[in-house]
Amino acid sequence: MAAPVYPAWVTRWVSGQWRNKKRPPTLRPPRTLALADKVASRREQPTEAKCITEMSVMMACWKQNDFNDTPCAEEIRMFYDCLAKAQKEHKNQNEDTLSSRGNLPSSKVNKLLKRFPQITRYV
Amino acid sequence: RIMPVRWSRYNPSYLEPEVKKESYQKPLEELTEEERQQRELKAVRPIKAAPATLSSSVFSDPMISKFTNMMMKSGNKVLARSLMSQTLEAIKRKQLEKYHRAPENEKETIECNPYVIFHQALKNCQPIIGLSNITKGGKTYQVPVPLTDNRKRFLAMKWLITECRDHKHRRTMMPEKLSQELLLAFNNEGPVIKRKHVLHKMAEANRAYAHFRWW
Repeated sequence: MAAPVYPAWVTRWVSGQWRNKKRPPTLRPPRTLALADKVASRREQPTEAKCITEMSVMMACWKQNDFNDTPCAEEIRMFYDCLAKAQKEHKNQNEDTLSSRGNLPSSKVNKLLKRFPQITRYV
Repeated sequence: RIMPVRWSRYNPSYLEPEVKKESYQKPLEELTEEERQQRELKAVRPIKAAPATLSSSVFSDPMISKFTNMMMKSGNKVLARSLMSQTLEAIKRKQLEKYHRAPENEKETIECNPYVIFHQALKNCQPIIGLSNITKGGKTYQVPVPLTDNRKRFLAMKWLITECRDHKHRRTMMPEKLSQELLLAFNNEGPVIKRKHVLHKMAEANRAYAHFRWW
């Protein structure tokens, strides 16, 4: 038989720690056991750059046509459309909804928490 | 002497002045709902003083005024405006000479309106993407970045003016050199267009860093 495995209470009993009337550790918390009204500030990850595909298509067209604008008019128009769309989307997005990664930035979280603070004492 | 009347800080309730004559000549029925509300608001709210450069004449052009302001040195608007009008006159003269020399079938293709030439030349000179310095990991990279309309117009005008000021013979006058550059830019030739192409080439060479942008 392999080394016998006993349940945890058996090992603790056998080790004799309770014979000296050892008490469980008393809790001495340095701070009050309550949730704070602030979240630690986090470095926000930068959002991705928009319209890179359009830009690369336009640059490929430029390379073929010796950087003239007249043969590449279609690609340039598509690039401008993409830029206008990205700007409109940026304007329309609501600041209080979650960002694309599903997180709120720490400043907004702090604002919300300030509106509903933790009640630590009753008056 | 012109005394400045427009303040630099207004109460937010002050509205911008409407200078175009056409907006006041429209009969009441043709206005949309929001235009009617705007009219009623204007009857009640105070209005800011119009800046001295704003004009309601048919001959005023905001792009030309911006260009004259950029050409102006030490506040000498009189000189800058006269240079601008001489430039437009020089363009007209050159184009008319070309027109009268050309054979019959080519006469329609020659553009004689100096304002059209100016606008088209500026549009041809505007770069589409620019480079901006972005520091990442201690090193600064030149990242290709889309430019705003204001920035494009400013760069086009700035390049034209610096080109005319630096690369000309000591004795050539500014209107002559400017008209030459504008006509070259109108035909997509000349040193300003070359500078734009150089910028595009550098942006194309650095296209690998395009992902460093975060806007």
